[in-house]
Amino acid sequence: MKKTTGYRRVGNTSVAIKPTKADHSFNFLVDFFLAVLLVIIAVPLWSTITLSFRPNDYIGNNLQGMFLAPWNWSFAAYKALLGNQGFILAFKNSILILIGGVATSLLLTIPLAYVLSITTLPGRKFLNLLIVVPYVFNVGMIPSYLLVTHLGLIDHLAAIFLPGAISTYNCLIMRSFFEGLPNELKESARIDGATEIQVLIRVILPLSKAIIMTIGLFYGVSFWNDFFHAMLYLNDNSLQPLPILLRNILMASGMNEYVEVNAFGDAPIAAIKAASVFMSAIPMVIAYPFIQKYFTKGTLLGSVKG
Amino acid sequence: MKKHCTSRIGMATVVLLLSLSLFAQGTKEEVKAAGPTSVELWYGAAITEAGPPPADWVGFKVIKDKLNIDLKLTALPSNENDQDVKIQAAAAANNLPDLFMVRRDVLSRLVPQGLVAPVDDLYAKMPVRTADHYDAVSQNHARINGKSYGLADPGSINMNEGLLIRKDWLDNLGLAVPTTTDELLAVMRAFTFNDPDKNGKNDTWGYGAFQEINNFEAWPGRRLEPLFGAFGVDGTWSLKESEAGLNVLKGEFYDAMVFLKKIVDEGIMDPNWLSYKKDDFRAAWKQGRFGIMREQNAAFAAQANYAPFDKNFPEGNWIVIDPPKGPTGKASIGPYTANYRIYAISAKAAKEGKADKIAALLEWMASDEGYYLLGWGVEGVNYTKDADGIPVAKGLADPNLAFSAPGGQTVTQLRNMVFYNGDIELYARYPLYVTETSKKEMSALTVMREMQTKAWTAQIGSDTLPIPNADLKRFYEQGLSEFITGKRVLNPANWAKWIDEFKKLGGQEWNDKGVAFAKENNLLTR
Repeated sequence: MKKTTGYRRVGNTSVAIKPTKADHSFNFLVDFFLAVLLVIIAVPLWSTITLSFRPNDYIGNNLQGMFLAPWNWSFAAYKALLGNQGFILAFKNSILILIGGVATSLLLTIPLAYVLSITTLPGRKFLNLLIVVPYVFNVGMIPSYLLVTHLGLIDHLAAIFLPGAISTYNCLIMRSFFEGLPNELKESARIDGATEIQVLIRVILPLSKAIIMTIGLFYGVSFWNDFFHAMLYLNDNSLQPLPILLRNILMASGMNEYVEVNAFGDAPIAAIKAASVFMSAIPMVIAYPFIQKYFTKGTLLGSVKG
Repeated sequence: MKKHCTSRIGMATVVLLLSLSLFAQGTKEEVKAAGPTSVELWYGAAITEAGPPPADWVGFKVIKDKLNIDLKLTALPSNENDQDVKIQAAAAANNLPDLFMVRRDVLSRLVPQGLVAPVDDLYAKMPVRTADHYDAVSQNHARINGKSYGLADPGSINMNEGLLIRKDWLDNLGLAVPTTTDELLAVMRAFTFNDPDKNGKNDTWGYGAFQEINNFEAWPGRRLEPLFGAFGVDGTWSLKESEAGLNVLKGEFYDAMVFLKKIVDEGIMDPNWLSYKKDDFRAAWKQGRFGIMREQNAAFAAQANYAPFDKNFPEGNWIVIDPPKGPTGKASIGPYTANYRIYAISAKAAKEGKADKIAALLEWMASDEGYYLLGWGVEGVNYTKDADGIPVAKGLADPNLAFSAPGGQTVTQLRNMVFYNGDIELYARYPLYVTETSKKEMSALTVMREMQTKAWTAQIGSDTLPIPNADLKRFYEQGLSEFITGKRVLNPANWAKWIDEFKKLGGQEWNDKGVAFAKENNLLTR
């Protein structure tokens, strides 16, 4: 098949444009750059994956370990992780935080963004200012801790997502998206007697799948990875989510100096660390391809008036 | 349409509110009434990645029945910085738990705020525990403004590292154990160039190390301290009254640098030492890359850790040796400090009259019942005792519940609160075993005991001295490594110039602050 750099119209027909030397050079540079990028991303990923499969009696450096034959791989780390009650419990807590967090955040962000997108809203500028100011000037850890304490949320999973349920950044993206929707649609619904809530639910939301999925993904990733708030607000260890356990596993580097086995049995701790990193990333890795099509569309549309 | 829509929103709101109850699994504040005293304890977990003791842990019941205490446990984060953040946030909200583990520098910030209660009068109320855990050094460790504000339990074992050499390589080459720096150099050269493992390849080096740096063991760090100890400048500081201050400012430090540079320039140290991480270093000695190293007793001799080396080199034989003597006869494996885990009582708990209850709890932990229950679990379930009365993980109905197995580790999470490095726990931790391939009898405890007989430099409290700011630290580490790697020429003139620059950048101030701190806290020795 002949290579082309594009087509131009001649009368009613499209004619292929023959690539020049400069096009070839440019394409080569782009390909080279992408190949380097691929290596930069793939090597650490592959290193982590192979590390997670290393057997306990493996000795050798990381480079050699990356080329360990698959028939020498050990599944001990995954077996140990999946058989560990603490890991299962932490995974469950993370899922609860993810679901609760995304649902709460979307339920609060969508109406707020919609209200702010209505140009006729009295005091709209002032309301926008109220929302943007805390985005620029962060309230800090101690006041947040005091707030959570006084709300009685210490040792509640809701403490992880409720205080930060609305992200200003996400809200502004969503507001821009709503502003970009044709005003005529809203007007016609209003003329038909719809209230603002009905306009939002019946007219706006069906057109906003892309932005909802995108913002939902943003929220999901941040709640899934949230270590700090869980560390701060959850004293009951049975409520701790995956990032806390992951951190504890990753911190267990000096363990082999003191005990014969680790909490995960015979699997080497380096393999356990790598396997836990890999497994904790799996839900997000699975979610991304399904949401990716909305993701690009949603962020681009949101940026038009951003 | 309007009605339909409103009801949908109403439903969604109700679902959201109801779902919040899903997350409300936490504990509510205790209703104060006649009944057990609630004691909230934030502890340092023994095995950070294992879970907390289960809700039906027998310890909760025993403590309630015997002491009338309702114990609530929270494992602190595994990372010290995270621990500090959690404690400081709770302190800012006046929400500190009754009893909590805390680092000394955080404690010293909490005390002036009146958030921590003094514990001086508690020692007498805990005679057994005080005898085992709190000697004079311990009681002094958390002393601030003349009062003890923390119960300092013994931490990790001191002097549990040693200088090791491949005896089989020495024998292959007909060499004796080196006792001086000159002899050490000769052995390193032979290990590098004379094929000590007789495999016909030029694949070995004399010394192996990696950069392991901390507050009291600055660059080049712990693994090279035996070399610097030969010049009397091991560790970041000298705490001798007559010469107190930063070692880097002493003339002998330059001599030690010249010695290290010679080793590096001759290529008789594993060249990867600047890039090795701990795990790489440990993989390297198990692969037979070098024949002299400083290593920790269990990392070297515990069964699982020694097994790969045993498999690779059944004839291999590491022995613990004395640190080499330098030109003036000085020798040291390196500096050691006294490690403590400080437990503090919040002022709030003391005001609520809980201090005596906490003392009773800690004293019970030091009793035989508490010691074994928290240290190893339930006899017959989590451990059995051997003929010498040492807890062992043998003869159990469910081996997974053994104190050392994944299923049993959660019930021993508080063991650091009862262990004091006594013989029973050391025998249990480091049992005697026979290696699988070479059938050698080994014990990490025997190795440790031998390591402890070697020359060390006592620097109690040096880990609590002021640390430099990030820029000065970088200048220090980068400068020294550049001298060794040849990016800077190491000669007296360049060295003096670099030291001047170091002092100007804040090195002199760091030195003076450290000396003043050491004097204030009685850390200087004669």
